[in-house]
Amino acid sequence: MRSVWKSFASVRLAIFLIILLALASVVGTLIPQGRSAEEYAARYGDLAGLFAKLQLTRLYRSSWFLMLLFLLAVNLTVCTVSRLGPRLRRAFGSVSARDASSVAAMRVKGKLRLAGPPGSAAAAVSRELAARRYAVRTADIEDGTVLLARKRRLGWFGSDAVHIGLLVILAGGIVSGLAGRRSHLPLLEGQTVDVPHAGFRIRLDRFETEYYPQGGVKAWKSTVSVLENGVPVRTEVVVVNRPLVHRGFHFYQSSYGWDWQSPSLEIVVGKRGDPSSARSVSLRTGERVAFDGPGITHLGVRRFVPDFVLGEGNRVQSRSGEPRNPAALVEAWQGDEHVFAGWIFAKFPDFGEGHGDSRSALTFVLKDFQASQTSVLEAAKDPGAGLIWLGCLFISAGLFLAFYWAPREIRAVVEPGPGSGTEAVFGGFAAKGRDAFRTEFEDICTSLRRAP
Amino acid sequence: MTESALFTTAFAFYVLSTVVYFGALFARRVTWGGKGLLLACAGFVFHTAALVVRTAASGHAPFTNMYESVSFFAWATVLAFAAVDRKFRLPHIGPYAMLIVVALVALASSPLMPKEMAPLVPALQSYWLWLHVSVTLIGEAFFALAFVASILYLAADTEEKKEKYDSVSYRAVAVGFPLFTLGGLVFGMIWAFRAWGRYWSWDPKEVWSLITWFIFALYLHTRIVMSWKGKRSAVIAIIGFLAALFTYFGVNYLLSSLHSYR
Ligand code: HEM
Repeated sequence: MRSVWKSFASVRLAIFLIILLALASVVGTLIPQGRSAEEYAARYGDLAGLFAKLQLTRLYRSSWFLMLLFLLAVNLTVCTVSRLGPRLRRAFGSVSARDASSVAAMRVKGKLRLAGPPGSAAAAVSRELAARRYAVRTADIEDGTVLLARKRRLGWFGSDAVHIGLLVILAGGIVSGLAGRRSHLPLLEGQTVDVPHAGFRIRLDRFETEYYPQGGVKAWKSTVSVLENGVPVRTEVVVVNRPLVHRGFHFYQSSYGWDWQSPSLEIVVGKRGDPSSARSVSLRTGERVAFDGPGITHLGVRRFVPDFVLGEGNRVQSRSGEPRNPAALVEAWQGDEHVFAGWIFAKFPDFGEGHGDSRSALTFVLKDFQASQTSVLEAAKDPGAGLIWLGCLFISAGLFLAFYWAPREIRAVVEPGPGSGTEAVFGGFAAKGRDAFRTEFEDICTSLRRAP
Repeated sequence: MTESALFTTAFAFYVLSTVVYFGALFARRVTWGGKGLLLACAGFVFHTAALVVRTAASGHAPFTNMYESVSFFAWATVLAFAAVDRKFRLPHIGPYAMLIVVALVALASSPLMPKEMAPLVPALQSYWLWLHVSVTLIGEAFFALAFVASILYLAADTEEKKEKYDSVSYRAVAVGFPLFTLGGLVFGMIWAFRAWGRYWSWDPKEVWSLITWFIFALYLHTRIVMSWKGKRSAVIAIIGFLAALFTYFGVNYLLSSLHSYR
């Protein structure tokens, strides 16, 4: 038991774990994370199976990576706890006769002859140190006094604060992982949806995109209302970097899209070789409208895809939700007889013309398409976040203390010197910034020497 | 003066400063070292003016694309080195630190990095852009200094010099590590939480910052607890700065990342 404790208190283990975590993290950036099995198979061939088995494709959530973090947490805890006692004593403990014997072993040393009997000389030393913001404790020894003066005592706990901060952050990560909730909410203007796990609803009142004069998006603005039991309780404009917060849920402007289910389309129909005959027809997908043309009586659009691509088995798919290659499947009827069906493309009007029905010699061009925009909000509840900020605070304060608030300590033994008068032996210690401390130490000796 | 004229003037001063510094080194004229620092400071003044003019013209923080951020990084490196140079007065730090600055400014001036000012995309419209990027880059500038001092440590021939370089390297890390922690990790997490709703996404840029942070944590622990000093510390500091550079450039160009704003 003791040896287990000891090995978890060791910094060697910490170094080993940090190296392993760093190496694992590197691997996780070289192998793309969280993609589909097919993608890995295409990319890595036979290795893909091995990667999956070793959980390298979801490395940061893999059991072995979490195990490393767990070991680091245990290491940090044991290490901090086992060093805390001695450190507390060093910073706040009382002074004893034993401190007298340690003076000689200290790095910075000085010896002075002081006026007056040991009692009053020790008081003078105390005053001088207190004036320099040292907290002074004294204890009596045989025929003199031992002093222990300390300042910046919090500095002893800089690294502890950093380590505790890390533990708090790891705890926050666990809470986020277990109790965090998040969902994507694509919303059309006027649409109301339930927020999963929240017990209230939100409605998108308005969604607008602002552009810079030189082009480029300036802002996406979603006006969002929160509805409790059907009653709007607050309305706010959500933009990127400014989420709406309601009952622990944050609503972020995450992205935007279009509702491609039933866009309104404008199709220009004309006779081949006769541009003056062109007429435009407006309709929606799924709609069938009367059209008086040579050889046809009705027109319709069976399907629309924003980003046309032929998938497996030549099935038509949309590669993305962006209107990169919009295409419509146009149909024509003569009475009840289906006479024509073909894809036409907004970006490639000539290609669509080629599809025109040869008997009636009509051409179709997909002139325009309009779909309602959706605003995609991300709803997130993260009860771990508070711990993260607390941990960050500890780490920031701890780093400041560790590097810039190094504790200083001066011990002194004030005793009757040889002959008459009093002798004081000083020893000083600074955890960091030794040059600055040496200067202070010498200043102290100089002013004591000068004192009456 | 226009931004580009100011920037070019700064570049010229930096080059001059580097030449004078190296002159001081090879001609063994100690007094030239002071002139090198003076020239570097002159360049710094023009560089600062260039950044201010650009900020005023674009209306946003001067680090939203690679040109701007490399320029700012070079600026921060001059700042870091001028602060340390005054304190330590080591003849070799100046020339090599300025060499890095000149390399960075040359990179920023090269056609590799488009200079157009683009209006801010929505994700970057936040005062956290200022805090996150500037503090991180200033922290990394101190890592650059630790890198220079560590290389000089490895190249030094006397114990006395080695001791000084070791101490410069440690002091640079003692400034860089807290700044990098605050700017890169703490401010980064806060901003990510405000913009994306999650403070940590294991995005490659985040992971590489963490790796850099781990490496400097190793530097500190091996030093303070295992009393590693000198050669081994120098090697860790060098690896740490290379990791910081990879976080900065490599991730943008080689790995796909949420942070791809170049
Ligand atoms: C990534 C994880 C860690 C980070 C970022 C970290 C950070 C720090 C920092 C900033 C210091 C102060 C260094 C200085 O004053 O120069 C420190 C000191 C220290 N750390 Fe860690 N630490 C980590 C993990 C650990 C672990 C797991 C242990 C457990 C053994 C540990 C043990 C120590 C010890 C013993 C000290 C010296 C304390 C002192 O003498 O003041 N650290 N750490």
